[in-house]
Amino acid sequence: MKKLVAPILAGLMIFSAACAKEKPATPSTDAPSTQTETETPESEESKTDKSEEKTSAADTSEAKESETDKSEAKDSEKSEEKESKTEKPEESSKSEEKSEEKSEEKAEAKSEEVEAAEITLWTHPIGAWKDAETVDGFIAKFNEKYPDIKVKVEYLDYQSGDDQVTAAIEAGTTPDLIMEGPERLVSNWGAKGKMVDLKDLWTEEATKDIEATSSAVVNACRWTDGAFYEYPLCMTTHTMAINKELFEKADALKYIDEKTRTWTSEDFEKALKALKEAKVDQSLIVYCGGQGGDQGTRALASNLYGAKFSNAEHSAWTMNSPEGVKAIKKLVEWDKAGLISHDAGIQAADELQLFANGTVAMTLCWNASNEANYASQVEFTPYPVAFPTDQAQPELCGGIWGFGIFDSKDEAKIAAAKKFIQFVSDDEKQGPESIKATGFFPVRKSFGNVYAGTEDEARMATFATFMPFIGDYYNVTPGWAEQRTAWWNMLQQVFGGEDVQKALDKYVEDASAK
Amino acid sequence: MSQSRPLQSRVLRRRETVTSYLFLLPSLLLFITFVLAPMCLALVTSFFNHTMQSFEFVGFANYRELFTDPIFLRSLRNTAVIVVVAVPTVTAFSLWVASAIYQMHPVSRSFFRIVFYLPVVTGTVAVTVVWKWIFNQYYGLLNSSLKSVGAIDQNISWLGDARYALACIILILFTTSIGQPIVLYVAGLGNVDRSLIEAAEVDGATRSQVFWKIKWPSLLPTTIYILVITTINSFQCFALIQLLTSGGPNYSTSTVMYYIYYQVFKLYRYGYANAMGVILAIIIALFSALQFKLARSADAA
Repeated sequence: MKKLVAPILAGLMIFSAACAKEKPATPSTDAPSTQTETETPESEESKTDKSEEKTSAADTSEAKESETDKSEAKDSEKSEEKESKTEKPEESSKSEEKSEEKSEEKAEAKSEEVEAAEITLWTHPIGAWKDAETVDGFIAKFNEKYPDIKVKVEYLDYQSGDDQVTAAIEAGTTPDLIMEGPERLVSNWGAKGKMVDLKDLWTEEATKDIEATSSAVVNACRWTDGAFYEYPLCMTTHTMAINKELFEKADALKYIDEKTRTWTSEDFEKALKALKEAKVDQSLIVYCGGQGGDQGTRALASNLYGAKFSNAEHSAWTMNSPEGVKAIKKLVEWDKAGLISHDAGIQAADELQLFANGTVAMTLCWNASNEANYASQVEFTPYPVAFPTDQAQPELCGGIWGFGIFDSKDEAKIAAAKKFIQFVSDDEKQGPESIKATGFFPVRKSFGNVYAGTEDEARMATFATFMPFIGDYYNVTPGWAEQRTAWWNMLQQVFGGEDVQKALDKYVEDASAK
Repeated sequence: MSQSRPLQSRVLRRRETVTSYLFLLPSLLLFITFVLAPMCLALVTSFFNHTMQSFEFVGFANYRELFTDPIFLRSLRNTAVIVVVAVPTVTAFSLWVASAIYQMHPVSRSFFRIVFYLPVVTGTVAVTVVWKWIFNQYYGLLNSSLKSVGAIDQNISWLGDARYALACIILILFTTSIGQPIVLYVAGLGNVDRSLIEAAEVDGATRSQVFWKIKWPSLLPTTIYILVITTINSFQCFALIQLLTSGGPNYSTSTVMYYIYYQVFKLYRYGYANAMGVILAIIIALFSALQFKLARSADAA
């Protein structure tokens, strides 16, 4: 009998692995996120090794002083040449010395007593960051500067990446570094006390530079307790795209303001009717077979009548508002009228493939990176457009990607991981290269147009026009993970005939469940 | 002399016992590490509110919540449907195929065994990719075939429609489950005593009588094994669902195993998921015990 029961018990092993770990006594009050400024990892290190104090504390001292005394911080910056890579590029006096500094940089780095460490990076498929050749190239450049830090890379996919991280957290085998967005690094793992506070990387200069692009980025990387669990590298906006030729043929292109690439909800409905009259089989599919690419269906629903997914404080989910209900009812109405369709059997990847092969006239899951990925497959012009809205302007979902550090309690590894983040994100030469590999836009204003003079310049310029439409980054609202699974289940229910208000109330309840 | 012989015998017996246990030790260690210990830990943590952040004793709260959780109850019902439909059909179909091929020429027999066993040795992901393509609403083989013969007018989202999704899952499970039972039945039928069959035929028994009176009783141990294994596999149906439907649409294909995964990896409720695991293990144990008991009574009769 035991032998027969064994297979099912094997299935239970995953849960028992979780049981085997120590009691996870990392509530937010004990987490690194709430460490006082004098309790940062570097300063703890300094207590035990005075010889390392001067070097390892250098990075944090700048951040701390800048918060307490701006002028003192600047003095500190000047006196400590080791901080040259975080200096403001616009400072003219320093830029004149740049060439000299660069020639000395290598020697300085070697003199910088960075403790030897081997760190692991897990990266999601963000543009070319999924390619070993590209990432290995970045690591080779990093090792020119920090030869004693070895970086091992593991490539995750979005299908199973979250599961791998969850299993690693419970088994205590998390990587040192991970590349993803604030919805995971900040509001999920960070909020659960698994990440290191990166406050020391957020220098005054970096914060101002990133804020100049979008203050939403800064807010997205900071949890409610003030800790920064992500250091961002790049960002983008998610848009729709239409099959331009098909729209022209159906005389539906006139409903889009080609100058701003926007359309109203009313015009969107007219375009759907025009496509139907032109016998286009599939105009738009509201995919709801899973959470993959769900930002597309969320953006469609929220933009139609100006509904908000969360309140301004990001403390509550609010899609069961009259605007939200109206939008979902409209989608169900269009579905019944045959203007659009829904499919609980597919996710965004399937829908994108259907768009690329010309089966469906629109996709809800488009961005600069997807356009590059599908460029070789499409035999028509994929024309990016904003989501339709009855408001003054659309609010597009933003995507922010960067790095976070899992709290391994190993100070040497944490320090090494921070050096890697600074190198790939802040270095004047490497930063733009790291961003170009993602296929998105820099979060640092000072990097300017990283695609200038490249073959991607024109394509990226198109997507840059959507950046002013970037909406509230509600992904940091508590219950984000729960919200994602509740969303597509809710869509399945309403398209299956369930009452919209009731289904949205349940969705909000599930998203808010703790 | 008479006293030393029993002593020698006891020493010898003890040595044999120790040797036997040493042979068992590697398996025992693996069993304890990977089966018994996780089972005990799962049972213990099912009484805790165990999440990524907390670990507090809640008694039977997880178990109470289970039976008021409509999604768990739906998943339990779906699992029961899969077991009730898949187990008899897999067993009966396998027996039928095995009966048809076991007397064939060895080459033909091997060919059929390979054909039916192929989905078993093919990776689950590869199998699901092919089935996903077959069931695709827009360019799938099934829709185009049915349309070409006039069976349907509109394309059907086989995996996206609650009316068909579970049936599609059962169909795929069926194709991946019949390989092993067919091979076992072919072997079992080959081992039936020929002299008994010939004697029955000489006595004028019909083919049906030969099957039910001679072959079937001989196949009973094989049948019990197949029933138990197929039942366990059906209860544990997970990969197909995770890869094809994510439990949808509207939880119509969610099984207990999938819901356990959902609670662990999407909602991080380890204690609650463990409670589900314990319930599932108890149900499987009861089903297996029942099958053994029924088979034993049939054997005795």
